[in-house]
Amino acid sequence: MLPKRAVLLCILVFVLAAPAAAGSIERIVTPSGNGLDITLTLTDIPVGGIVETLPDGCTWTEADHPENRTRVSGQQVAFAVIGEETIRYRVQGPPDVAEAFAGTWEDLLTGESGTVGAGEPRNPGPGAATAPGTPGFGCAAAIVALAAAYRWRCGR
Amino acid sequence: MTRRLLLLACSLCLLAGMAQGVPCDRDGDDTLTAPELATAILDSLDARFMGGTVEAPSPVDLRDAAFIYEHWDGRTLTITDSSGRTTTLSRPLRRIALFNSDTLEMMRSLGLEPDRVVGVSKYVLEDPVFYPEYQGTANLGSTWAPDYEQAASIRPDAVFLYATLSESSCADIEKTLRSIDPGIRFFRFDSYRPATYAEEARTLGLLLGKEEEARRFLSFHRNVTGTVAGVVDAIPAEDRVSVYLESWHDYKSAGKGSGYDEKIELAGGRNIFGENPVEYPVVDPEAVISRNPDVIVKIVGAGELAFGGYGDDDRSSFETVCRTIGNRPVWDRITAVRDGRVHIIHSDVIGGPEYFIGTAYLAKWFYPDLFTDLDPRAVHQQYLEEFQHLDYDLDEHGTFVYPA
Repeated sequence: MLPKRAVLLCILVFVLAAPAAAGSIERIVTPSGNGLDITLTLTDIPVGGIVETLPDGCTWTEADHPENRTRVSGQQVAFAVIGEETIRYRVQGPPDVAEAFAGTWEDLLTGESGTVGAGEPRNPGPGAATAPGTPGFGCAAAIVALAAAYRWRCGR
Repeated sequence: MTRRLLLLACSLCLLAGMAQGVPCDRDGDDTLTAPELATAILDSLDARFMGGTVEAPSPVDLRDAAFIYEHWDGRTLTITDSSGRTTTLSRPLRRIALFNSDTLEMMRSLGLEPDRVVGVSKYVLEDPVFYPEYQGTANLGSTWAPDYEQAASIRPDAVFLYATLSESSCADIEKTLRSIDPGIRFFRFDSYRPATYAEEARTLGLLLGKEEEARRFLSFHRNVTGTVAGVVDAIPAEDRVSVYLESWHDYKSAGKGSGYDEKIELAGGRNIFGENPVEYPVVDPEAVISRNPDVIVKIVGAGELAFGGYGDDDRSSFETVCRTIGNRPVWDRITAVRDGRVHIIHSDVIGGPEYFIGTAYLAKWFYPDLFTDLDPRAVHQQYLEEFQHLDYDLDEHGTFVYPA
């Protein structure tokens, strides 16, 4: 290869692959009466799924999401997302558990997944708390993979 | 080699009987509704994350279902390619193999994710400057010398071939690969012909789930072609500049109905050999002199003039070619030579998917006073940045036209 072609190749190796819009979900938890109102705001996830894990001491009440797109099992709630940009649900529980909600999401078009609330938090306004990002299944998988790699390196 | 191919064919035939319906279509009516998709998503989440024991769709089925719902209205997609063949799909294309590098470029304009491409022609691999992201992808050889073993081993779900170029070679490839793996879908697109360019981009957009990207790209394309057409359409036939176009082979021109004849016409020129029934005739130098063209366009980038383009920053070869044309015996009598209207253009911007950039250059050369606001170089730069997603500065790299 000619030197100038090599230089060009080096330059172009930084090709800007067509960036798919990166998805994210923000969670806002607002104390209300004897419960909490949770608002999930979805960005660039047209078709996907969300699993929310409610903190201990909280019990599911209701959601504005269609019933046939919502499934509750114990402390976990699954939402099927088909075009929705906002999902609101309500739980009964103490107001001090706002930061204990955990959740994970998947974008079924891009294959991306992430942790609910891991994006840039927005100003939640008075009386509201934004739950910080919580390690989700992606992190758990990474830890398992690291452990497997360690075991492999150690010959076990 | 033959035995390995046979073994591969047998194993692929065993896999060919996979379900062909729309995934997650529970009632089997070939339409995936929102409730059916929602149930599939919830079943999958339940089984994977919530300890549920419900029978859930596989991750592949679920992603395919999401794609079909979002892009194909939940139904199978029936499309007609440029060979006139109709194909019905119940799954998105995830493993694409292309013998046609022009279609790969068009797909890139539509934002195709590189990881959906599993095999490319050798020409893509020989062009690391323009196709950096495909270096390392399986080499399928060429339309004329295909590597069947490689093509079958990458297990493509679709193979793209030319529609009107090397038709018999493409037919052979299709026949051979189909005998190895009956499950492969074959599509024929050209992606370089002005007459079918827009329709092909629309069809590919639908096929790939890139409808919005196709609309955006075609808006850009239409803006350029429309600007040129809007001006040249108003020029009476008798006022149109006469043009002699020569390929990289000396005295090989463009006859009636050829691709270059069409491009001269699109740019408002009158091809001096436009009535020649031979598609690419070798002409007599005397015939060029007697027809006395206003403009001469010489194409480089192949054959003995295989220089210039994306991987070459040296303009000197273009200058030499231009000077050589002016020095041909008695050609100093030709108006184009006398007036300094001999132009050199690289095949990359006139012969393939970038033809509309080259056409803009031609129009500007033919009618400089009518196209003072047209900047083909800026069009080219926008194409590379916005649609090819390349970090390539035309001010610093490449050689495409002379005089610039």
